[in-house]
Amino acid sequence: MDYKGDIYYIEQILAGNNNSFSYIVDRHKDKAYNLAFRICGNREEAEELAQDSFLKAYRSLKSFQMKSSFATWLYRIVYNTSISHVRIKKKGVLSLEDFPADATDFIGSNTTEEEADNEYRSSLVNFALQKINEEERGLVSLYYYEELSTEEISDITGISKSNIKVKLFRARQKMLEIIEKVEKKRLIYHE
Amino acid sequence: MNNIEKHTDDLLREFITPERIEKAPDGFTSKVMTLVRLEKSHLLPAERPWKKNLVPMISVVVTVLLLVSAFLIPSGKTDIIANPVLNIIKKLKFSFPDINISSLFRLSLPSVMMYVIVGIIILTVFDRALARIFKREK
Repeated sequence: MDYKGDIYYIEQILAGNNNSFSYIVDRHKDKAYNLAFRICGNREEAEELAQDSFLKAYRSLKSFQMKSSFATWLYRIVYNTSISHVRIKKKGVLSLEDFPADATDFIGSNTTEEEADNEYRSSLVNFALQKINEEERGLVSLYYYEELSTEEISDITGISKSNIKVKLFRARQKMLEIIEKVEKKRLIYHE
Repeated sequence: MNNIEKHTDDLLREFITPERIEKAPDGFTSKVMTLVRLEKSHLLPAERPWKKNLVPMISVVVTVLLLVSAFLIPSGKTDIIANPVLNIIKKLKFSFPDINISSLFRLSLPSVMMYVIVGIIILTVFDRALARIFKREK
């Protein structure tokens, strides 16, 4: 079925057709869930956060002024909901030991070496993401996974463009340090 | 982006593949819609304050109009309004009680005050009738 655009469905919802919200949820659920997951690092919590964000968006749909795109507005809700959740529920710091040293741990019976390597890299990035703070996690996720510009990220987070660049640079350095350490550990394991 | 930034960016991009986004679990939309149905009342249009207070507002407006016209219409010309009203009342075979207000209160009230008092009584009935109609609508 053709998607008629967010504005069309928002108008339908405001006119009383609540079922139109399902089209909006269907269209944006993966990106909302992905952002929540990258920030909180847990699938169950990410599902709850994404659901909570959609509910918040529904409740305040009347206040959506259509100045920015609906996606930007929704991202802002997901970002703030997830950051607040993580801040309230501060977890213990992960140690390098929490990450398995061998990529072969990810190889299942039906996966090729390339798939296993991709899985390993993905898990490694997730691990590194969980080692940086929640704000940096959000920024990295919006920049690298959602592929948004610093201007769009600034709209979502309320952080200035120049500050985003600085924070992204620090986040990148921290993540690469963690990745390097894990990779070294992996090499030692193989020797 | 300077050279160091570009370098770290390139290195990190080796590990990050945007296509590998985490997908929302099955049944996500239906779960959200269940929550939305429970929340349905939030989007019901709120009754506007002027609509909420329509009955007393109409009463106030009509009362004010009556009072203003009672004071502004020159004393000799009250018949323009009073005569048609009196004719209607005569047709209804309704007569006002003959009360001498001046002797009761020892005040010299303009004759138009009689109509104002009658107007207020009519408005009270009108107000009750409107209140009943609106209550039934709700």
